[in-house]
Amino acid sequence: MTLPRSLQGRLLVLVVGLVAAVWLGTAAMTWADVSHELDELLDSHLAQAAALLVVQQARAIDDDEDAIDAPTLHRYAPKVAFQVFHEGRLAMRSANAPAQPMFEPGEHLRTGFRTVQIDGVAWRVFAAHGGEGHVQVYVGEQVNSRDSILWAVLRSMLWPMVVALPLLTLAAWWAVYRGVAPLRRLGHTLAARQPQALAPVVVEGAPSEMAPMLDALNGLFTRIAELMETERRFTADAAHELRTPIAAIRSQAEVARGEADAAQRQHALDATIQGCDRASRLVEQLLTLSRLETGAAPAFAPVELSALVRRVVAELAPLALAKRQTIELDAPEPCSVPGDATLLAVLVRNLVDNAIRYSPPGSVVKVTLASRPGRALLKVDDSGPGMDAPDMARIGERFFRVIGSGQSGSGLGWSIVRRIAQVHGAAARVGRSDTLGGLGVAVEWPSTR
Amino acid sequence: MRILLVEDDPLLGDGLRAGLRQLGFLVDWVRDGEAAERELRAQPYAAAVLDLGLPLKGGIEVMASVRRAGVALPVLVLTARDAVPDRIRGLDAGADDYVVKPVDLHELAARLRALVRRAHGQPQECLSAHGVTLDPAARSVRQADGPVTLSAREFDLLHALILNAGRVLSREQLEQHLYSWGEEVESNAVEVHIHHLRRKLGAGLIQTVRGVGYVLPKDSAQP
Repeated sequence: MTLPRSLQGRLLVLVVGLVAAVWLGTAAMTWADVSHELDELLDSHLAQAAALLVVQQARAIDDDEDAIDAPTLHRYAPKVAFQVFHEGRLAMRSANAPAQPMFEPGEHLRTGFRTVQIDGVAWRVFAAHGGEGHVQVYVGEQVNSRDSILWAVLRSMLWPMVVALPLLTLAAWWAVYRGVAPLRRLGHTLAARQPQALAPVVVEGAPSEMAPMLDALNGLFTRIAELMETERRFTADAAHELRTPIAAIRSQAEVARGEADAAQRQHALDATIQGCDRASRLVEQLLTLSRLETGAAPAFAPVELSALVRRVVAELAPLALAKRQTIELDAPEPCSVPGDATLLAVLVRNLVDNAIRYSPPGSVVKVTLASRPGRALLKVDDSGPGMDAPDMARIGERFFRVIGSGQSGSGLGWSIVRRIAQVHGAAARVGRSDTLGGLGVAVEWPSTR
Repeated sequence: MRILLVEDDPLLGDGLRAGLRQLGFLVDWVRDGEAAERELRAQPYAAAVLDLGLPLKGGIEVMASVRRAGVALPVLVLTARDAVPDRIRGLDAGADDYVVKPVDLHELAARLRALVRRAHGQPQECLSAHGVTLDPAARSVRQADGPVTLSAREFDLLHALILNAGRVLSREQLEQHLYSWGEEVESNAVEVHIHHLRRKLGAGLIQTVRGVGYVLPKDSAQP
């Protein structure tokens, strides 16, 4: 049997079904018990009656009268019959008793119970004998009379049930309805919510069974609210971050428009283009970050890290050379990590680009890729000014840039690096470079070989 | 009009400095909060353009600290933060105006002129004294018999004197109004410019207080 889908229906079916089952079970037990007791009682009555007849016969009937038909005295009487034989001859019988002994002739003169068929009707018969074996008495009773008594008993049990069950169903319905009211209230509360409402749900009089569900739900709401707050702040911060480059572009463009001096105008136009580059770099970083935050997990394939690092360093080397910096790469052996090649290139580019950007002209940038059993370690060290402890603690905050660095970075680079590392199960650490004294960044992967 | 620009973004700072110069301002540019505070305490700027997110010391802190030190110059806050609480915080900390980036350079200049004018108790855009009318926006000067052509320095000098009408300004004070950093100050530049102004506008307009400096007497017609 499939239960109804509503909790209310389910509880109702279970409660009413169980009550009915228990009731029926009780009725069955009562029936068995009553039928046993009834058999004993009625059998003892048969025995008693037979004994009376035997005694009476032994004393009173001496003459050889014809068999006497006893009158019917009670409406139950047709269901009861007796026969009295005296020295093998029928001396007395009830109106409904046959003339022949109720037992087989061969089994005369014995005492005991037996159920026999007489004219297709089942009889419970007690046979008794007495008076020095001259008197043989049979007392019988139709079996169906016992059944009707049993049914009467059972009916008296079942009738109240038939009446009570609908009432009980109604009562159970009401009780269950009251019981699941907090659930219904929760449903209404949730349905009436605005999509943006993320305050905890409070259900008046919620039972303790609902507490784990409510806690889980409210926990979820809290997490969603935090996520939305992060997103909101990110969007706001991103918009603010874009304002400064746009303001710079605008002011430089206005200067170029109003400038009579050709060299000055050229300077302003160059600065305008520089500002556009910066703004588009920022937008690109924002997009990368937002893809990382919301996108599905990237498909991983083995990536040859040393080749990738070499490519990125080659790409960025002109930048370092333009600042008269020395850039070195030490990646002696191939090193493969599972990952997304595009993202890993973004990570390496960010690290190397940052090192070049934030180190003064003439400094050294060193990129090292070391492969240990099961690990790959990428280190980017520079001989720049490094960072003090409070700055290092804040570096993960979006849009935090080390102020006074004189660089117009967005402060998003480290967020991107950390996020990509996280996606790849790699650990990214930033600290003081132990070899060059500037900033040292280390990213460690679990490698495939 | 000499103003202090406090902006840490190199590109924006460069653009604002160049733009405001085009519009006739003398601009000194500093890139961090500590330098801003130092300069604001030391120099008599007509106004300051202040970014809030500054290295070393935030703009709000700078403002609060110079206000405590009694520096009353008009401060225009130029920032990327546009939320109302940010604006309230900025104005409460002592800003006279609050402008959100990006800003039109002409609007910025107009706001600065308005701030300076109000700071000197001048209700009108044009300043006038003794029949001489000076228009800071157009950087033009008129007299009863028509426009007068002045050099940029002469204009700035006259502007400073008219704004401070009735107050004696020393030669050093006037130099500070005339030159931003990195500009060569000739030893007798102020005297030369005063001489030219007297020649163009009449000898009686600017009076010399011997051993102290120069003064443009308060116009009797003006309160």
